[in-house]
Amino acid sequence: MQITFTVNGEERELEVTPYTRLLDLLREDLGLTGVKEGCGKGECGACTVIMNGELTASCLVPAPQADQAEILTVEGLGTRDDLHPIQESFVEAGAVQCGYCIPGMILAGKRLLDENPEPTEKEVRYGLSGNICRCTGYAKIIDAVMLAADKLAVEGSDSSD
Amino acid sequence: MKKFGRGLATIMFGFGYGEGFPDHSIASIEIKEDERIVIRTAAADVGQGVITTVIQIAAEILRINPNYFEVVQGDTHKTKNSGSTSATRQTYFTGNAVKKAAEDLLANLYHYGSLEFRSNHPEIAIEDGKIYMYDDPDDYISYWEMAERVRERGKKLEAEGSFFPVTYSPDQNGQADKVYVAYTFLSQVIDIEIDTDTGTIDLLDVYTAVDLGKAINPKNVEGQIEGGTVQGLGMGMMEDQVIRNGKTLNAGMTDYLVPTSVDIPKFKHYLVEEEDSEGPFGAKGVGEPTLIAAAPALANAVYDAIGVRFFDLPISPSKIKKALKEKEKEENS
Ligand code: FES
Ligand code: FES
Repeated sequence: MQITFTVNGEERELEVTPYTRLLDLLREDLGLTGVKEGCGKGECGACTVIMNGELTASCLVPAPQADQAEILTVEGLGTRDDLHPIQESFVEAGAVQCGYCIPGMILAGKRLLDENPEPTEKEVRYGLSGNICRCTGYAKIIDAVMLAADKLAVEGSDSSD
Repeated sequence: MKKFGRGLATIMFGFGYGEGFPDHSIASIEIKEDERIVIRTAAADVGQGVITTVIQIAAEILRINPNYFEVVQGDTHKTKNSGSTSATRQTYFTGNAVKKAAEDLLANLYHYGSLEFRSNHPEIAIEDGKIYMYDDPDDYISYWEMAERVRERGKKLEAEGSFFPVTYSPDQNGQADKVYVAYTFLSQVIDIEIDTDTGTIDLLDVYTAVDLGKAINPKNVEGQIEGGTVQGLGMGMMEDQVIRNGKTLNAGMTDYLVPTSVDIPKFKHYLVEEEDSEGPFGAKGVGEPTLIAAAPALANAVYDAIGVRFFDLPISPSKIKKALKEKEKEENS
């Protein structure tokens, strides 16, 4: 069957089976390998994307459900030469080790800051709690999201001047 | 009721394979005409940061900005053996191999510099990618030009370094001169609060002091401490692998709990830079040592809080509640 959806601002039309997972569609068909597979059953957050504004485990979404959806993956956030402030904050805080959880963490951080631009540390901890990281011990990831909140606040006030 | 507890544990960790195993690392560095310095090493970076570390080491020795470096890693066609990324050994072994290669290369920069300037090497200065005579800094040869001139001589501006320390396997009494290349020491104090109604442990603060010789990249070291400690705490309070007849019964991450961002404590680190080994700039390995003290320190904190000793992990809420009940019974009888 045919589905149409928007990925990282670009409209796509693709032929899918009813059993294709959104995760595989993004990775295999569209080459968006920033979407990772960890557990394959909604427990780890490695496959996180933002779909219609909501954090979504792409391993649990049958591709037909993504018809007409708007999807953001980490690739749509920034580029190597032009990082999004959240990505920049992860680098500066030293929040990345193996990197496997990081695309999901960054999107979870973005979703949190979109909704709550001035979170407390506790709110950041809860906002990230659906994403498992085995390397970092989370402390620097939490720091990075707090730092990103500051950066985005400054940016926001700059642009409104 | 909430009960506060504080526990301490101290460990020592001999790193590298040790015990006479032929453990070594080989690396090479080449200065290229196109303004790149290429390090070749098979050391696998699995996130611990060995690539950043070896670039820092080489840049320090070669007196040039780290931005010029590029690392070819883990290509069996292009790199020689660096040994495995295990046993907390890469900073020490590959760090030393890269340092030796860089020192050899620096010596060659002096050598070719003295040929080019027709002078003695003590009169030659090397700094910021430039080679010049002390009395005329404006007339310099850049590393890149030097690479070209060396090529014209039919050679490459390149060096290899290897690090191959000797260790001994212990005798029947467990004695030997040097079983491991060096030892990392770590002490950890953990503060917790136990809810005696639910049996849950709240992690408050973790204070870690690690004697690591030299922190080549302090942020990476902190990352290792935090990651290792959280794994150790997971082992101490929640990670429960259930094995029956050789099969793991846990089906996934919902019945094998690992810590998440809501579980972790606040950290404070103390890096003790006591140089006592042959590591690069005195550095010792920190990977695995960061995991070991957490569970025993936690068990001591639990004892401090409720007066019960646990001898198997994880110290789960159900075990705590059961132990408290038994303790109460004993006290009443
Ligand atoms: S792979 Fe989707 S949640 Fe783990
Ligand atoms: S950085 Fe390795 S899992 Fe998070």
